[in-house]
Formats: sequence, C-alpha cells, structure tokens
Amino acid sequence: MLNLLIQGLALSGLYALIAVGFTMIFSVGRVLNLAYGTYIMLGGYVYFTIVQEQGLPKVAGFAGALIAGGLFAVIVYEFLVRRLEGNPKAVSISTLILAVAMQALIVLIYRPTSKSMWPVINGVFRYEEIFVTYNVIVATVTSWVALGGLLILVRYTQFGRAVRAVSMDRKGAVISGIDPERMNRATWMISGALGALAGVFFATYTQLFPSMWVWPLIIAVAVVVVGGIGSIIGSLIVAHIIGFMEVVTTTYIAAELRGVFTMLLIIIVLVMAPKGLFGRGDI
Amino acid sequence: MIPYRQLAGWAVFGGVMCLLPLVLPPGILRMVIFANFLAIFALSWDFISGRTGYVSFGHPFLIAIGAYSTAILSFRFDWPLIISIPSAVLITVISGLFFFVPALRIRGTYFALVTLAFMELAYQLTQVLRPDITGGTRGISGITSIVSGAVPNFYLSFSILFVAALLLWFLARTRMGTALAAVRMDEGAVTASGLSTIRLKLFAFGVSALVAGIGGAFYVHYLGSIAPRAMFDINFLFQILVAALIGGSTTIAGPIIGAFFLTFLLEYLRPFIDGPERFLIFGSVALIVYVLKPNGIYSILESGYGLALARFRRFRPEGGPAK
Repeated sequence: MLNLLIQGLALSGLYALIAVGFTMIFSVGRVLNLAYGTYIMLGGYVYFTIVQEQGLPKVAGFAGALIAGGLFAVIVYEFLVRRLEGNPKAVSISTLILAVAMQALIVLIYRPTSKSMWPVINGVFRYEEIFVTYNVIVATVTSWVALGGLLILVRYTQFGRAVRAVSMDRKGAVISGIDPERMNRATWMISGALGALAGVFFATYTQLFPSMWVWPLIIAVAVVVVGGIGSIIGSLIVAHIIGFMEVVTTTYIAAELRGVFTMLLIIIVLVMAPKGLFGRGDI
Repeated sequence: MIPYRQLAGWAVFGGVMCLLPLVLPPGILRMVIFANFLAIFALSWDFISGRTGYVSFGHPFLIAIGAYSTAILSFRFDWPLIISIPSAVLITVISGLFFFVPALRIRGTYFALVTLAFMELAYQLTQVLRPDITGGTRGISGITSIVSGAVPNFYLSFSILFVAALLLWFLARTRMGTALAAVRMDEGAVTASGLSTIRLKLFAFGVSALVAGIGGAFYVHYLGSIAPRAMFDINFLFQILVAALIGGSTTIAGPIIGAFFLTFLLEYLRPFIDGPERFLIFGSVALIVYVLKPNGIYSILESGYGLALARFRRFRPEGGPAK
C-alpha cells in the first residue's frame, strides 16, 4: 500500500514535469504544440548518446539534453510556429507532421529497435517493506525542484512578469517596452529544456524507442486540458490524478489498460466541461 | 449551369485511369491501388476537416471501425461479404455520428485532441477487449478477398474512388457544400442565417464516415489482414493528413493528387532509404509546401493553368498591371 503511494507520487511528479513545459507554451501563446513529445524523445536520446554511447559524465548528458531540447524548441518556433501565427489549426497540423518527421529521423539515426536506458543513479532505497529505486527518488526530486523553480520564475521575477504580460495583452506589453518575440523565444526555449529534462527520466522508466513521444504528449494534453488552461495548480492536481490512476490500474486491473482511463478522462472532461476542471487561473 | 469543363476533367481522369492496366506492370499497378485507397481516405478526411474546419486526428479510427467490422463479421461469423461490407459501412456511419458528439461542445484544436484520444483509446481497447474476436495485438489474417490479381483489384479500388469523388464533388457543389464552407468561416453567421449548424455538421460527419467506412471495408478485403498497429497509427494518420494537405485541402482533385504524389514519392525513395525513415524526407517536403503554399499542389497547378490560359488568350492588356 505504501509502495503504491510512493510509486504514484513519483510517477505523478514526472507527469507534472512532462506537462509543465506544454502548459507554458499553451498559456503564453495559446499554441497547441504537438511536437512537444519530440522534446522528450530528444532529451532521452541525447542523454543516451552522451552518457551510454560516449561514456561521458552524466552532468554532460543532462547539459546536452537540455541544450538540444531548448535549441530544437526555438527552431520550431522560429521556422514553423511564428510563420503560422494566428492559425491554431495550421499550427497543430504542422507540429504533428513535424513530430512524425522527427520520429523518422530517430529511426534513421538509432534504428527502430528499442534501446535500454540505464537508471540515472543505481541502487535501491530500502526501509522495512518499502522499496524505492534511487532513480525514482532522483526523478521525483528533480521534478519538484524544476516545478518550484519555474513557479518562482513565473510569479516573482521581472522575466516572469514580462512573460505573463505578453500572454495577457501583447499590445500592452509592447507599449511597456517588452519585446514579445524575445519573450516567446525564451518561453519556447524553457519549454523545450523542461521537456528534454523530463525526457531523460521518462526514458529510464520506459526505455527508448522511436514512437516514445506519443504517450508523454497525451499525458501533457490530458493534464493541460483536464486541469484547465493556464492553471498551474490545476495541472499539478491532474498530474496526480492521472499518475495515481495509472499506478492503480497497473497494480489492480491490467497493465495493458494503463492508458485507457487517461484517454477516457480527456474525452469525458472535454465533452462535459470544455474549460477543464479547474477553470482558468494565471501563470 | 452545367460545368462542362469540370465534367470533361472527370471524363479524362476516368478514361486515363481505366487505360492504366494496359500500360503499367502489376508491380506499379499495386502502388496505384494503394494510392486509390489513400485518396479515398484523404477525401473522407478532407470532407470534415477541410470543408467544415473541424480537424480530425482520429480518422484512422473511423477507417479501422469499417475494416474491423467487416473483417470480424466475415472471418469470425462467416457472413457473406455482400452483407458484411454494408453492415460495416453502417457501423462506421453510426460511429461517425458518435464521433460527432464532442463537436457539439468544442471546436478548433480541442476537437482534434478528442479525436486523437479516441484513436489511442480504440488502439488500446482492441488489444485488450475480447482478443478472441479482434485477434488482439496480432490482428486477423486470412480475410477473404473480393477479387484476386492486380488488374481486377485496380478496377475495383478505382471505381470506389471514382464514385466517392464524384459524390463528394456533387455534394460540394450543392447549397449544402456552400453552407459547410460557411461553417468553417463563421459558425455564428451560419446560425444567424437561420441554418442549423448541428444538422450541417452531422451531415458532414455522416458523409465523411460513410466514405471512410466504404474505403476501410474494401481496403481490408484487399489487404487480407488487419492489425491494430497498422490501423490506429499516427503514421497512417500522417499519410492521410499529408495527402490531403499537400494536394490541396477543400478541393476534390487535391487529395487525389496528394495521395498519388505521396505514394509514388515514397516508392521512389525506397532505393535510397527503405524503412519508415522515408517519412523524414516526406514530412519535410510536406512542411515546406504547407508553410509556403497552404493550398497545396492543386493551387500551384491551378495558378500555372491560369497563367498559361492568360498567355494563350492574352487576357492581360499590354503593359497592364499583372493582376
């Protein structure tokens, strides 16, 4: 029982981290970035290449993953999303096409077979009946630190105020001397880096394979849509609902049905309460 | 007014396609068969997403419903094809209307998300629920084929495509088609003109599901096997989307051109790279075309045709402004 609780908390923390980068883009630019899953994939594969194939230190792996994710996100923004601005349908279609193309790129470089990813830190923490791998602990702690840092950045810094200003009223922000393009680029970069960071840990949970981007994307969509757009607290709560739902389903019903309830949740909430469960707050 | 020029276009298209088996070897003909089916799916997608603006990311779901229904009915319950295919189409239309329920409440990108969730849900459920009927992860193989050989299958697939395309073309030309285009532009204005957007959308979803169901049912009998990963797949969705978009959305010729372009490009890339990596090149081409020319190849052809016509008839006065 206690193991279940810990597993649930750990998975939920990771899911919150996966979702938060997606939420950021969505609440600032109202852009549905379906290429978000590829940041996660990119993070996992870059870390794998640096640490497991080249044998470099793990810090270098994390740095590489974060840089790759952030850089890729900025490229996507500059060359794709900015050109289609004002047409959300075109953005969602083209980012989906991009995601499939990136999947093909991964197949080209790494072959379609799945790669096994070592845990970031080996070993198991054991206390009486509780077993937790250190990897899970590190993933959870990192998630919470990243989430907390982001919350502080958005709420209490000049940069965060500027980003929020752009999301509320672009013209007003320009008048106050904020360059919205720069803010958008910075937001995309942070989103990409967060996605890649989540990707490293996600890959230690699930292994690396070319279509691994689909599931995190669905998680991110579910968290954002069900939590209510722009509500960071709502997102956190929903990440926990989904995480616990998944752990409970895997333990008590069947591992294959893991995703079914998440999908049902998305469909039901979108149909019943299109604004999400927790309305719209601010980020 | 009878659109003579377009009717002539249809006649030429039909005539040329009917002559293809005389000149093409069976290998290439099989590609054309695939292109025919892809064109049917792309037309079906475009009738919802291009015309009414409700982007569906779950179209493989509809196609798979049609395909699975007839596969199960004919393979597991020994129904004759003449009954199983119409039943499958009917089931697909009903699912299409069910699919429509979310569209009553939500629009834009959220609708796309719900349909994507539908597809993933169906993918997971077919593997787990009643694997004795659906065949689970392995799917079903050994499904009866309607006709055998490349040439008869070509004529079969092409006649379905031709009839479906003619039907959609005709519908788009009626007042219904105009109203559907209006739904894309401004739903409020459509309601204000006294039309029921619900009925219009219901109609569009029904027609799209009908075409998807017919395409899916005949496709599975052509393939002879079905598996969840081949059907509820983002790569499959990608092909449908890209065929419709690269060819030219909201037209009838566009998705057909796109399907043929996609099939042949992928085939000619095979000697250089042969796996799913080909989607990398294809995705890049599609993105570039989509960002630069959102109306696809059709609009390029059309403007080329218009330019040629203008040259020929000297529409442009000497030294006058170029449009």
